[in-house]
Amino acid sequence: MSEEVKKKKKYVPNPNSAKYKLGKIVEKHYKEAIEAKANGEKIGWCASNFPEEICQTLGIKVVYPENQAAAIAARGAGEKLCNIAEADGYSNDICAYARISLAYAKIESAPEQDMPQPDFMLCCNNICNVMIKWYENIAKEKNIPLIMIDIPFNPDKEVSKEQIAYVKGQFLEAIKQLEEISGKKWNENKFKEIMKISNRTSKAWLEATSYCAYKPSPLNGFDLLNHMAVAVCARGTVEAAEAFEVLCKEYKENVKEHKSTFRVEEKYRIMFEGIAVWPHLRVTSSGLKDRGMNMVATVYADAFGLLYDDLDGLIRCYCGVPNSVCLESARDTRIDVAKRTHAEGLLVHTNRSCKLWSGFMPEMSRQVAKACDIPLTSFDGDQADPRNFSEAQYETRVEGLAEVIDSRKGDC
Amino acid sequence: MSNVDKLLAKFHEAATNPKKQLDSYLKNGKKVIGCVPVYTPEEVIHSFGYVPFGVWGADVQIKEAKRYFPAFICSIMQSILELGINGEYKGMSAIVIPSLCDSLKSVGQNWKYAVKDIPFIPMTYPQNRKCDSAKDFLNFTYGKVIKNLSDIDNIEFDDKKLAKSIEVYNKHNAAMRRFQKLLSEKPVLTAVERKDVYKSAYFMLKEEHTDLVEELNEYLANAIYDGSKTRVVTSGILADNENLLKIFDENNLTIVADDIAHESRQYRTDAPQSNSALDSLVEKFRNMDNCSVLFNKDKVRANYVVNLAKENNAAGVLMIMTKFCDPEEFDYVIIKKELDNADIPSLQVEIDRQMVNFEQANTMIQAFGEVL
Ligand code: SF4
Ligand code: SF4
Repeated sequence: MSEEVKKKKKYVPNPNSAKYKLGKIVEKHYKEAIEAKANGEKIGWCASNFPEEICQTLGIKVVYPENQAAAIAARGAGEKLCNIAEADGYSNDICAYARISLAYAKIESAPEQDMPQPDFMLCCNNICNVMIKWYENIAKEKNIPLIMIDIPFNPDKEVSKEQIAYVKGQFLEAIKQLEEISGKKWNENKFKEIMKISNRTSKAWLEATSYCAYKPSPLNGFDLLNHMAVAVCARGTVEAAEAFEVLCKEYKENVKEHKSTFRVEEKYRIMFEGIAVWPHLRVTSSGLKDRGMNMVATVYADAFGLLYDDLDGLIRCYCGVPNSVCLESARDTRIDVAKRTHAEGLLVHTNRSCKLWSGFMPEMSRQVAKACDIPLTSFDGDQADPRNFSEAQYETRVEGLAEVIDSRKGDC
Repeated sequence: MSNVDKLLAKFHEAATNPKKQLDSYLKNGKKVIGCVPVYTPEEVIHSFGYVPFGVWGADVQIKEAKRYFPAFICSIMQSILELGINGEYKGMSAIVIPSLCDSLKSVGQNWKYAVKDIPFIPMTYPQNRKCDSAKDFLNFTYGKVIKNLSDIDNIEFDDKKLAKSIEVYNKHNAAMRRFQKLLSEKPVLTAVERKDVYKSAYFMLKEEHTDLVEELNEYLANAIYDGSKTRVVTSGILADNENLLKIFDENNLTIVADDIAHESRQYRTDAPQSNSALDSLVEKFRNMDNCSVLFNKDKVRANYVVNLAKENNAAGVLMIMTKFCDPEEFDYVIIKKELDNADIPSLQVEIDRQMVNFEQANTMIQAFGEVL
């Protein structure tokens, strides 16, 4: 009886906790955008790695289709929206984020996560060229402007000054176009202020993720995948900086008090490669937790920690996001993360949606595993289309990884 | 064998035996550089005295490439890697791979580790082509390709030589465009013969190919056509499988124009006059358009295909979809809509390089032909 009562008791989060604050930021982000739209303001749909400093400085409200697609998929409507896009002729081989977004642009409503319809599109292809096609199509269907910042895939380890100049040219062009669309004016001082806040947020994010290196880790690495949404949509806001600072404090205390948000004993420390399988988050997360396997390393930890001093530095950061760099750079970042966090195994999500992420992952992960001398396994999944994942395969692969790590520890 | 048959046999021989072509260039002391889709600065390669050689994969089973690519990458990229690993491109001095789509970005990265004996030269094109700052960037990335090519034999780049190569390429473009136009007026070739003309261009020096095409054009100009075939337009990345193409002829369909990346898309844009030959190449790329791997915020390609069908009096459009090609999969929806709006019948046929059974394609195309 008392057990039952316990179960039914509603979980009330502590309003001073980072989790609560971060959740509120996302909520407020959507709410404000919806209100702004209702007040006749122009709203943009924005790529996750479009320089958000531009929008923050201009005071333009944007929402992020990738965040929305992840939320929709995590709340169980990925397949429904994918089907709508497919009925319109989109191949089911196309990235599921794009399919969900194209469907949403058409039906304009999804109780799982609503957001206002766009008056303009802000595209940046540093994460993939799918972005270009997806945003082109929505702009065409809705007959709205599309502003593009092309950040080419960099085959070299260094970002050339020529690439920076090319991107800067577009950056300035984008500002001009947005001034025209919104009627708002660019303010250099405000831009400097926003850059400062973004750096503060990034620093806090990086510090928070760095706690993964503790043994045991004071956090369940999967938490980071959830918090990422704030790093995407609110990096240039003081609230985000403060919320991540609270997160750091909590992790610090956890370390001191030997506590963790990973609520079981940490038996294995792994690097998880790729985006979460949102439609099967519970299964994938408990598949690890049940074995005491904690994700302590992810490339996302560093991906949203953009630190820079000036405009050139800012552009250099956007030229270095995960999917925009060559195999060697991508590999070395991961080796660094895996070593720093003492990862003992590498679990790769072969993400059906993401051709670029998965396209040279087999070779790269082999190299990472070799350099770190850790075992490697992969499973097939999809970040948003639930149909491309098999729980049985996942379980087998994770179990296999645990066994290999055990055997290496010599206690099998 | 009539003269034209002999000519067509030459195209067929080159189109179906790339390895032989490659080996013969190598035997004659030529250096050969592989050129991966969709666009590579062939003129630059040519200006060094090297043979730009098309690398679009082949209809083969994928085995070795599976170690590098998951199954959901297009079969063109898969088969390029497979052939590279299997030594089919042996002897090439380098391979130029542009990064115009996500799969192309990946193939370049894999190439470095999978095929170590053929150096990878990346070519980065700016997608925001019309933006002012794209000019300098394109100059810079061409410069990087030039540097890599220079290093092969310590040959210095010469802008005057590039100007000559551009002439060769512009002349070839003109011959190919005329070929297409003549074929629209008098579609007397089979789909396979037509394909041979396009495909052979990748395995021959363009000056050699131009001569053959001009000879064929003379024949076409004088040919007599009875007007009995149903006129169609094709669109897509690649349509070189003979089993697929035979279905066209068997159903009395003739391709009067195309929007195929492997075919006409290559020849639409000339390098214009400019301050230097390299600048002229920069302008050429900036002027290119109507292609799934080239950003265009207005998606003008959809209208382009509609007009192509109208201008060539086509009864319908066949969208030949390379499986897992996302740039084309996105464009398809918009193009299809515009075609529907213009009352132009269309059919999507999905293909890949591992396809051996064309039954379904046959049934679909046959039914489509009957409707037309
Ligand atoms: S999942 Fe991959 S393909 Fe899809 S939007 Fe993200 S980076 Fe692009
Ligand atoms: S454009 Fe399409 S067919 Fe060509 S490499 Fe990219 S995905 Fe493959």
